[in-house]
Amino acid sequence: MDNKPNSLKEDIDSGKTIFIDPQIILDFPECDFSNFHFLNTKKPDVSLLKNNHQLVLETSDGDRTLFPYFLNNILSLLKINLSSTHQLTQDAFESFLKTTQKTEKKIFSRVSSVSNRNFKDLWDEIIKKINSISSESQSLNSLMEKLLNVPFLQKFESSLLVLHLKGQTKAKLFGVILRDEKTQKLIEVKDFNNLFHSVKKSKIKSFSTEYFMKINLPFNGSFLAKEIISKKYSLVAMVSRNDFLAYCKNEIELFETCIDLLQPHFERLIEQEFSDKKISELRTCLKDFPIPVRIKNIQTGTYFLSDFYIRDIPDKDIFFHKRLKSNFIIDLFDCDELRHYAFDLFHFQRISLLGELLNTLRHELSNPLFGLKLSAELFEQMGLDQSNSILIGEVKKNIIRSQKIIENFSNLYQIQNESKLFSIKKLIEESITLSKSESREVKKSINFGMNTEELKINVPGIFVIQILFNLIVNASQAMKSQVYRPELEILISRSLTEVFIDLIDNGPNIPTDQSSQIFKPFFTTKSQGTGLGLVLSRNLALKMGGNLEYLINNKPTGAHFRLTLPIS
Amino acid sequence: MKKFLIIEDEILIQQSLKKLLERRGFEIDVSASGKQAIEFIINHDYDRIICDLMLQDISGFDVIEESKKKYRPKEISSKFIIMTAYNSPQVLNRANSYQCRLLNKPFDDLEQALKIMVE
Repeated sequence: MDNKPNSLKEDIDSGKTIFIDPQIILDFPECDFSNFHFLNTKKPDVSLLKNNHQLVLETSDGDRTLFPYFLNNILSLLKINLSSTHQLTQDAFESFLKTTQKTEKKIFSRVSSVSNRNFKDLWDEIIKKINSISSESQSLNSLMEKLLNVPFLQKFESSLLVLHLKGQTKAKLFGVILRDEKTQKLIEVKDFNNLFHSVKKSKIKSFSTEYFMKINLPFNGSFLAKEIISKKYSLVAMVSRNDFLAYCKNEIELFETCIDLLQPHFERLIEQEFSDKKISELRTCLKDFPIPVRIKNIQTGTYFLSDFYIRDIPDKDIFFHKRLKSNFIIDLFDCDELRHYAFDLFHFQRISLLGELLNTLRHELSNPLFGLKLSAELFEQMGLDQSNSILIGEVKKNIIRSQKIIENFSNLYQIQNESKLFSIKKLIEESITLSKSESREVKKSINFGMNTEELKINVPGIFVIQILFNLIVNASQAMKSQVYRPELEILISRSLTEVFIDLIDNGPNIPTDQSSQIFKPFFTTKSQGTGLGLVLSRNLALKMGGNLEYLINNKPTGAHFRLTLPIS
Repeated sequence: MKKFLIIEDEILIQQSLKKLLERRGFEIDVSASGKQAIEFIINHDYDRIICDLMLQDISGFDVIEESKKKYRPKEISSKFIIMTAYNSPQVLNRANSYQCRLLNKPFDDLEQALKIMVE
């Protein structure tokens, strides 16, 4: 390996200007040459050139020395020429040099008995390939994918990495199977530890998937694996031909060396992908995010998954898809939790929209109503005859009622989430007033059972009103044009700890096959319905520690809903 | 006879107040716009000016500011009665700075409100 002639050192003093052939920089992009002076105008003291796959060292007085085209040689030559200002880079280069030399020594000591020329060529090619793939790879994922392009690995079909960052609750498996099929999943730490230790203990480094049933590896058959451990992470790299044949000694050695060689690159990429502070923050956020979410970096092809993303979820289940400016795509996947949260959000939006609307309404209506009231009062004072004064009295009463309704609602929406003592009776009356426009034709009867008429419960009043409003409007709409005399019966009863509000209409029955579905999101029989009203209502009821159910009756007509609320 | 100006753009309120006060024996001018009101104030002498804050063109406070050309601060505080439906802290502070009386719309008690206007 060491073809460096002794005379070189005397020719080059440190601090001289060096010209490095751009082709060399391209061939070894993993080396940071940026700290060197690139001079095109002035004739450099020393030039490093590539010529016919040979390394040429050219001095300013025309001396040319040829070296084999190895990174090692380039680095050695550069090292000698480094000025003191590049101390840091020099250290970096030296450490890189050491690891490369060490691994090279290791492999050549192993194959020394073979000592054939072909192997050496193959080795050079492997080194070159590894250098190029590891520098091309912007992510661990692409590194694993490209690993299969290394000459001796070309018959392999799967290349996977299981990575566990210290402190994380799950390990992540990712890579390619069948050459181009990307895969990734999360693995329980104890299963990862089991795999890691088996690999560590093994001398032959060959395994079969059947030993690791718990992990459910995404391929079948025998595989080679090698573990790496560092302060921040531990990982197992594995490759497989997806068959059940055993691996030969050479393959095992080459694979091991390959992974050894890649170690600094794993380090770099893991650092790059996982140690960024913001990314780790993102990870922390994702960890507890209760919805399966996938954030994909378009540039690097890496994914961030929430802990709830436990299996491969098909793209058709994407509930929300957003492309951010910063090369990221966020996908939220459909699940019960998401629906639950979406409703909360929906409810919040609805409430705030309603609040806003009511505010506008209040401001817009209060002035004219005030004017009406003043003029009514004026007429009262003008001394009218009896029939006119009764009329004006009614006008005034209605104005006051309107003012009261507006005032009540804006008060209600201001303290929307606050639990307060509300009279059941008041809440029901308020709901009926609110739903008047829909339920005008419906005859309503309210029957208070024992000890319920004066009952007060500690709840967010607006929740109860919203539920009752929904139920009354639903019933009214269901009965509309279906029933000759629409009637809605509201029964209030109680136990020691709960109050029951039953709403029974005489509209069409809910078919038994549908009654289990009515509380599912987006289920609706109305042409204009969102299918959210009942879900929302039940969510609100549950939130208050109560419930909302549909009671199946045996009568041919009529729907029966029961709202249960706790008596605090 | 005492002369009042009512500045209010809601005609129903304006006219009702006008009639209610006329019945109590006052002479009433009305204006629905702030700019017209300023003209009235400059050209007439009013014993009392009842001014709504939210007018279509300018605010009631602008009317008061313009009136400073004619009246001293003390006169302003005795002549002007501010009517408003929005009693936010900012409005209250500003009204306080003129030391004017303030009536909240809608009036809780009409008689009480009329009493404040005429006393």
